[in-house]
Amino acid sequence: MTKLTINNKPVEVAEGTTVLNAARSAGIEIPTLCEHPHLTPYGGCRLCLVDVEGARTLQPSCTLPVTEGMVVKTDTDKVLAARKFVLTLIFSERNHFCPFCQVSGGDCELQNAAYHEGMTHWPLQPNWQPFPVDASHPYIVMENNRCILCRRCVRACGELVGNFTLGFEERGARSLLVADLGVPLGSSSCISCGSCVQVCPTGAMLDRWSAYRGRETQVEKTQTVCAGCSVGCGIDVLVRDNNLVRIEGNWGAVLNEGVICKVGRFEPLAEERNRLLTPLVRKDGKLKAATWEEAFDTIQAKFSPLVGKKNDGVAAVVSTGLPLESVYAFKKLFADYFQSDMVTSTEEGDYTSSASAFAQGSGKPFEGTRKDLQNADLALVFGIDLVKEHEVVGFFIKRNIPNGAKLVVIDPAVNSLDILAEVALKTGKTVETNLVQGIIAAVINAGAARTAASGVSESEIKSSISNAGCSPAELDKVASLIKSAERPVFVYGKGISEDTLKKLIHLAEITNSKIIGTKGGANSLASSQFGLESRIKLNGHQAVYAAFGSEEPSQHIIQQLEKAPFLVVQSAYGSALTARADVVLPSFTWLEQDGTYVNFEGNIQKAAKSLIAPEGTKSDLEIFVALGAKFDQKMDSDWMKQLTGKVAPVVIQG
Amino acid sequence: MPKPKVSSDWMAGCSGCHMSFLDIDERIATVLDLVDLRSSPITDLKHPDETGVDVGILEGGINNTSNEEVAIRMRKHSKILVALGDCAVFGGVPAMRNFFTIEESLRRAYIETESTDSSGKIPDDPELCVPTRVRALQEVVPVDVFVPGCPPDADAIFFVLSELAQGRIPVLKDKNLMWQ
Repeated sequence: MTKLTINNKPVEVAEGTTVLNAARSAGIEIPTLCEHPHLTPYGGCRLCLVDVEGARTLQPSCTLPVTEGMVVKTDTDKVLAARKFVLTLIFSERNHFCPFCQVSGGDCELQNAAYHEGMTHWPLQPNWQPFPVDASHPYIVMENNRCILCRRCVRACGELVGNFTLGFEERGARSLLVADLGVPLGSSSCISCGSCVQVCPTGAMLDRWSAYRGRETQVEKTQTVCAGCSVGCGIDVLVRDNNLVRIEGNWGAVLNEGVICKVGRFEPLAEERNRLLTPLVRKDGKLKAATWEEAFDTIQAKFSPLVGKKNDGVAAVVSTGLPLESVYAFKKLFADYFQSDMVTSTEEGDYTSSASAFAQGSGKPFEGTRKDLQNADLALVFGIDLVKEHEVVGFFIKRNIPNGAKLVVIDPAVNSLDILAEVALKTGKTVETNLVQGIIAAVINAGAARTAASGVSESEIKSSISNAGCSPAELDKVASLIKSAERPVFVYGKGISEDTLKKLIHLAEITNSKIIGTKGGANSLASSQFGLESRIKLNGHQAVYAAFGSEEPSQHIIQQLEKAPFLVVQSAYGSALTARADVVLPSFTWLEQDGTYVNFEGNIQKAAKSLIAPEGTKSDLEIFVALGAKFDQKMDSDWMKQLTGKVAPVVIQG
Repeated sequence: MPKPKVSSDWMAGCSGCHMSFLDIDERIATVLDLVDLRSSPITDLKHPDETGVDVGILEGGINNTSNEEVAIRMRKHSKILVALGDCAVFGGVPAMRNFFTIEESLRRAYIETESTDSSGKIPDDPELCVPTRVRALQEVVPVDVFVPGCPPDADAIFFVLSELAQGRIPVLKDKNLMWQ
């Protein structure tokens, strides 16, 4: 511990703490701009200058570590004058004329700082040098004229996301925020996560969907969970008069600590699909608006004779993006009551069935958590492009690479992470069992096995390596990376066969590695636990019930379901399938309903609704309950027993 | 103490700050009790007489030689000069044309405007004032009190006037301090 005094107040903090954080811990406020609690201190704006006894000049408190006996003053005339001067310089550097800016009036940290210092004006006028505005990106506008060169966006892009798209060219007053090597942001390596917008203290990085729609003081903020995928990031949804203004990453969320991807941040705002607002029933070949009662009656009339019919009854498909309560009610209605043999999810078990089978075979969970991912010094990514899906998992891996973590990508297809990988293995059509067997052999060969891998003969090793489908040199490199890593993690995605997964788990065991399956949709794991994992295959089913929620049905699913003799679609948005359906039931979007989601590491998370759904629509659960009532079925919410009733790949908790 | 004499004028602005002044509603009676309003663009008398006033208030930036004259005359005639609104304080909306050359601005205004036909012509009468770069009031004459806002809130204007009437220099803070 180090003792110092700040404004004559004795303060004791841990060694290495910055003066700024020491002051904060003592309740002493020092204004800042470039500083951000989730980013490495940079010392660029100089607003946090303090007077340190014995120091030749004022010192930036955000980068200055405390020393024993240090005497700091934060409120001397010299400090106050310096703050105003620093702000004056920043204001006069570019176009900081507040009336034109969407963040003016509370959302601008620069303006707030000036108000805090009681500045009515700044004495220096700008030199009227115009800087470029880059509006080439679908979600973000880069307004260099409002940039204060604090580099928060650059640090967020690199440190939090590991993407390193943003940077500066030129020096001093000419410094210019650019993407990559000065290409338009829209055609750069930007992955549209929007972290730069979230950390920008001024209006320089603008979210074009939310700009001018409402300020922080005018909106309601709901803390909830993103239902975009199985990661389940914590988000803040900002709503004004039931209009979606903005979605931000929740800095306090243990899982994602403020970062989210475009799926959670921008896509709900840029939604262009047709919202379904009333039930539709096909009459004389045409879909016509109907009442809920009519729609339910039509379904009841058609479904009643199908109860108890296995392969010629009702086939049912549910989106894994629905709240757990709805998925459970769906399962009870169609699997338990209708006893159909084809009750599944839109994922068809792609992400989960092998892992689920293995967990039940071995009788215990085998997967690690996001902590293992965040602490990993080597990541082996098998058959999943973490820039195209489950992006935040990709962030966890990418941001460790500058700190020395290594990456191996094993994907037959071109993978966006190839460029960052030490080794990118490309073989076959899928991640082959032989390849994993080859890695195991190479690991044993290199003496990298940490637990005894006995019973493997020299000749077996040789044949495994030669059968792997890639060069022995590449396998050796992977083996040596595993050998030198202390905390390796394997990440696998969809389509992994049970055999390959078994080998992978064996490899993890002999190398003391953690293994993590990304799963698919927000309730992928829960759907798997409820047994909704079979392949969609219509053979003689007389009717199909499909509940999509906010999910857009894939081409594969459209092809499978459009030939159904009688099709009921429950969805928030219109699609090729709602056009083909015989009954359409308009449901809530994920933002409009409360619900439970089980994320990829088995955490049970509660989501709160942030928007009020349009009149005439019903929540997914309401629809299942009402439909159940037509068949005298009660939809009890006793899902916990089913969820944890069988061994899952991860420990389910929360 | 005699009532302080007050005079106001506008330059390159939209007159919105004067509208905001009128927005103090019935409190204008209180203001007139406290001060002697000598001249303003919204009264019959447009300019203060040669004896001068205690408080001069100017709205708008300075974008031509005519505005310069207004600013210099008001400064000469007032003991305390108040810059009212963002244009007077910072340059404001008119100052956005500083990112272009004056020729570009004039061409846009008199020739390239969508509603202008082929007879569009930049005025060149020698009696007209000459356009300049747009400046904040403080770039032309010394300013004593800055009242930012686009426009300043009626409450802020009332606060400033009542402080000045009572012989104090107003210190704007909290909800009175708003740049827009």
